[in-house]
Amino acid sequence: MPVTFFIPGGLREFTDGHSTVEIEHSPATLAEALTVLWTLYPGVRDRIATEQGQVREHINIFIGDENVRYTGGLASLVAAGAEISIVPAVSGGGHP
Amino acid sequence: MIGKVLGHCRVLAKIGEGGMGVVYRAHDEVLHRDVALKVVRNDARLDSTTSQSLLYEARASSSLSHPNICTIHEVGESDGDLYIVMELVEGKSLRAMSADAGLPPESVLRYGVQIASALARAHDRGIIHRDLKTANIVVTSDGLVKVLDFGLAKQVGSGIFEGSTRSFATLQDASSVSGTLPYMAPEILRGDPADYRTDLWALGVVLYEAASGRLPFEGRTGFEISSAIMRELPNPLGPPVPPGLWTIMQRCLAKEPIQRYQRASEVQAALEAVQSAAIVSTAPGPELNAPKTTMLHSVRHTHVKRGDFLLLVGTTKGAFILRSSAQRSRWEVGGPYFHGQNVYAMAYDGRGGQRRIWASTQSYWGTLLRSSDDFGKSWTNPQQAPIRFPSDTGVSLKNIWQIALGPPAEPNVLYCGAEPAALFKTCDAGETWSLVRGLFDHPHRPRWMPGNGGLALHTIVLDPADNQRMYVAISAGGVYRTIDGGHNWTAQNRGIRAMFMPDKYPEFGQCVHKIAMHPRRPERLFLQNHWGLYRSDDSAENWTDIANGVPSDFGFAMLMHPRNPDCVYIVPVESDEFRCACDGRLRVYRTRNGGASWEPLLRGLPQKRAYETVLRDAIAADSFDPVGIYFGTRSGQLLGSRDEGRTWQKILAGLPSVVCVRSAVVEDGSGGLGLTPSKAAQAPSSQAKSRSTSRSRRTRR
Repeated sequence: MPVTFFIPGGLREFTDGHSTVEIEHSPATLAEALTVLWTLYPGVRDRIATEQGQVREHINIFIGDENVRYTGGLASLVAAGAEISIVPAVSGGGHP
Repeated sequence: MIGKVLGHCRVLAKIGEGGMGVVYRAHDEVLHRDVALKVVRNDARLDSTTSQSLLYEARASSSLSHPNICTIHEVGESDGDLYIVMELVEGKSLRAMSADAGLPPESVLRYGVQIASALARAHDRGIIHRDLKTANIVVTSDGLVKVLDFGLAKQVGSGIFEGSTRSFATLQDASSVSGTLPYMAPEILRGDPADYRTDLWALGVVLYEAASGRLPFEGRTGFEISSAIMRELPNPLGPPVPPGLWTIMQRCLAKEPIQRYQRASEVQAALEAVQSAAIVSTAPGPELNAPKTTMLHSVRHTHVKRGDFLLLVGTTKGAFILRSSAQRSRWEVGGPYFHGQNVYAMAYDGRGGQRRIWASTQSYWGTLLRSSDDFGKSWTNPQQAPIRFPSDTGVSLKNIWQIALGPPAEPNVLYCGAEPAALFKTCDAGETWSLVRGLFDHPHRPRWMPGNGGLALHTIVLDPADNQRMYVAISAGGVYRTIDGGHNWTAQNRGIRAMFMPDKYPEFGQCVHKIAMHPRRPERLFLQNHWGLYRSDDSAENWTDIANGVPSDFGFAMLMHPRNPDCVYIVPVESDEFRCACDGRLRVYRTRNGGASWEPLLRGLPQKRAYETVLRDAIAADSFDPVGIYFGTRSGQLLGSRDEGRTWQKILAGLPSVVCVRSAVVEDGSGGLGLTPSKAAQAPSSQAKSRSTSRSRRTRR
């Protein structure tokens, strides 16, 4: 079963307007799944990750309902058919 | 020795032997656990002073508690036998594991991070390993690294050609010449004392050996090895070793300690960066290089024509472009561009016939440098962030605080000041940017401290008379100057106070808020400090206090008059605790005599309950005569004066917090003067008319 990414509005100009992206590969981890995503849509990469490959501070990634910050980060396992959501944190930004 | 009891440990079996002694498996009969027990060799028996020193060192090392450091439980003497009781680590030495062709890069990175982490902890406690080598590093069956024998090498100085310590996990010939020498740093061979950076050299050797199975400096004799260490460069390691890892090794193996990483934590961060980049990065394909352009249809745009005057206003929620005629009495407002994003830096570049607006944007999606060639109707939105720290630095871009134009004769050169504090340069009009390594690798950098707004390089000043000379200001690092085009930098803070430091006049570490130079008099600089106003008349060699009669010498903004090199504008705020206009009265102060005296300029400015703050880049001047001055406040007011500050008018209110104001006169597209001298005073070289120069610019889509 394909893994599905849900793309937030702010990134859709880099995914040709798509709000969901399905990848046919069977990635074992989130890192592998992301690698496939930004091979397809390179502009997404720098929005989600720093140049050092860390997920940005105010970006949350959920596999299903689980925030990957608590399930192993980029090494979190991705099951077949998983739904991966990319969500800017509500606390983003340093100013009110 | 077998069966003997030392302390409360019964010796069970010999498990290893090294230059310093024999290692046994023993059983702690009190705590009921197996331990490793190292007994100093008879033939290495130490005199009593050395013995006491070894005991002292071992006890100090026993205070280290870290998952990657083999714990020392106990040290003591029994019947004249000096012994050390340690955690029993069972595994393979890194030396044995990398013996053939080296380990896969992923393993080298994984182990390297743990070794660097162990060194960082020890260095924090003031303990230097002094004998780090692959034989002293054991990897357990579950992949955990343990570094052995911390701090034990110092006291055993019987000869550099002997392996001074030995892992019990490797049964090496103690008399082998290859024991320690190949890991020794050049300064040790010169007879200098070891410091933390000596361990970082050894870490470089360890990484090289782990990745390749070879030592970086080899020879048939000790003399040949020493000679290679002192003079030769290691053979480069290509794929599968990632370039980032090779860069880290090279930096660890710099001959001079000052050129290496200065802290183990920096090596750790760099290794982690390569590690994670290896996980999540893909090689940029051709598509990645094509910048996207965002057309902003739902935003109100200004209709700019030749001769118009522009104010570029960056705020914490986006950018605005204000257009007016030379009369500057009516304003058309475009924007907000970049809804909700911080825009800390803007610039107008009219060099070489272009009409380009630059802006830095920061949001939870990262920090980008963007440009518009049509006054904001469309902006670049690059797929890959153009300004980025190299992977070996372990550092990520947080914000861009300053965009400065290069010399007029080099219209493709620009600089950006970044947070964390660093300088970036482009020589191709922003197509590619590179980190100015001369400043980033400065040995002071690890000791710069973030100011309230972060650790930022916020001001860049070029000397129009000397294109090799340049100044930057860092909060809180101070003023740095290069006189060789950025290769070397020196701290230039003599006479500037640092109220928050034990030494009030340190070499560096001052929280400088702004510096300004007049292009006609480049040896003179003015400086607004975190407490303090200063002037230098000798290219920042010395600074003199010029806070003569201002209500407070605390403030952020500082602006040169575009024509008068004795005239400077500031906006004092009350204190670092109460960063608002003094007494709730918004007053700009001006000196027309180089700081000998200051006068308040307040006509038209609110003088009651005006708790305003003007930030460091939120002030600009124009090129008209008389000169116009413009500034924005944190409360979102934009104010201007058409008579050099004598009277002020409100231009706009209700903006988000203003962080940046820049001005420009729009000339025709054939190489006219685009940037007003106000901006030129801060990037002085852009004042003169530029020659029309052919430039490469990617096609926008």
